[in-house]
Amino acid sequence: MNVLLCYINTLNRFFDISAVEVGQHFYWQIGDFEVHAQVLITSWVVIAILLISTILVVRNPQTIPTSGQNFFEYVLEFIRDVSKTQIGEEYGPWVPFIGTLFLFIFVSNWSGALLPWKIIKLPHGELAAPTNDINTTVALALLTSVAYFYAGISKKGLAYFGKYIQPTPILLPINILEDFTKPLSLSFRLFGNILADELVVVVLVSLVPLVVPIPVMFLGLFTSGIQALIFATLAAAYIGESMEGHH
Amino acid sequence: MKNITDSFLCFVYWPSAGSFGFDTDILATNLINLSVVLGVLIFFGKGVLSDLLDNRKQRILRTIRNSEELREAAIEQLETARARLRKVETEADRFRVNGYSEIERDKLNLINSIYTTLEQFENYKNETIHFEQQRAINQVQQRVLQQALQGALGTLNSCLNNELHLRTISANIGMFGAMKEKKN
Repeated sequence: MNVLLCYINTLNRFFDISAVEVGQHFYWQIGDFEVHAQVLITSWVVIAILLISTILVVRNPQTIPTSGQNFFEYVLEFIRDVSKTQIGEEYGPWVPFIGTLFLFIFVSNWSGALLPWKIIKLPHGELAAPTNDINTTVALALLTSVAYFYAGISKKGLAYFGKYIQPTPILLPINILEDFTKPLSLSFRLFGNILADELVVVVLVSLVPLVVPIPVMFLGLFTSGIQALIFATLAAAYIGESMEGHH
Repeated sequence: MKNITDSFLCFVYWPSAGSFGFDTDILATNLINLSVVLGVLIFFGKGVLSDLLDNRKQRILRTIRNSEELREAAIEQLETARARLRKVETEADRFRVNGYSEIERDKLNLINSIYTTLEQFENYKNETIHFEQQRAINQVQQRVLQQALQGALGTLNSCLNNELHLRTISANIGMFGAMKEKKN
């Protein structure tokens, strides 16, 4: 009897190892909403990493930058370059937004690929990169939508909506549709890439636990970095597009 | 024996649902692969990143040094320009003072020369007046003499008869003769 039970347990255990959980969430109840707690927790960790490292490094700025400050200035220069090439001359006010998007997504993706989240076991679901949950990416994409509407309207007033009939009024439906497809494509691209990457790694780990997943993990690192860059670049491009004038 | 394997298997098994906890299964948590990836990333990324940052630092240093040099050069130029300005200002002051005194002297000279010229003119005027007066007097004298001579000639022409003529001639001859004797 005892042996049978243990057999079942062992089977269960192997099943657990080879099982790939998708769509399992650890829920927290806040008011009437059920939130995905694992996303919140990892987001907080990412935010903490960003804030603490920034505060530590920029606490005592030097004229000739020390190594940490040098690195952060390099990152800032990179973000400014991206926003300048995409937005154009008036990129200044948008650098914080683009930088926030880029850094948050980048650190999220890399934390998902590099930090051993699975050491911590949740009652339900598992910890992973915040960006592998569609809610996070949709939130970021909607922020981008709001940002480019705000940019266009604050720059041109109501004349901004003139761009909907810009080449010809026939394109009006397509132009309106574009406002919906932009956040959709942004969010699904990021979500799909990160989720697929983590799934591939998980599946490979469940099949061959050692060595074989390593190339895929490197590929995942590369992809996550590229995805963060693409998200930030596209957000900047949308903002720039809505700010440029068709005179 | 059965008990031992039993407990071993049961120990490995972890409840999948329940509370927070730590997963100690090295393979399931993918720790080895993660550490390898992290190690490789740090090993290669460190070199690349430090190169990049070193380059950036060198560039910043170079820029700072360049601007420092430019600044020093500019300060030097400013100093020389200031010195020149000061020199030129003192020179200008000197020139101004000199110029004022020169102008003053020139004025005095001019006034003096004009004064002398004026005096000369005054003298000329006086002389001219004197001369004019003299000439007028001469003219009047000539006129008077002429009229007197004409009167005398008229008187002579009207009053001269033969006898008187002869007497006059003889008197004149006598006079000439006396003059001739006196000459001889």
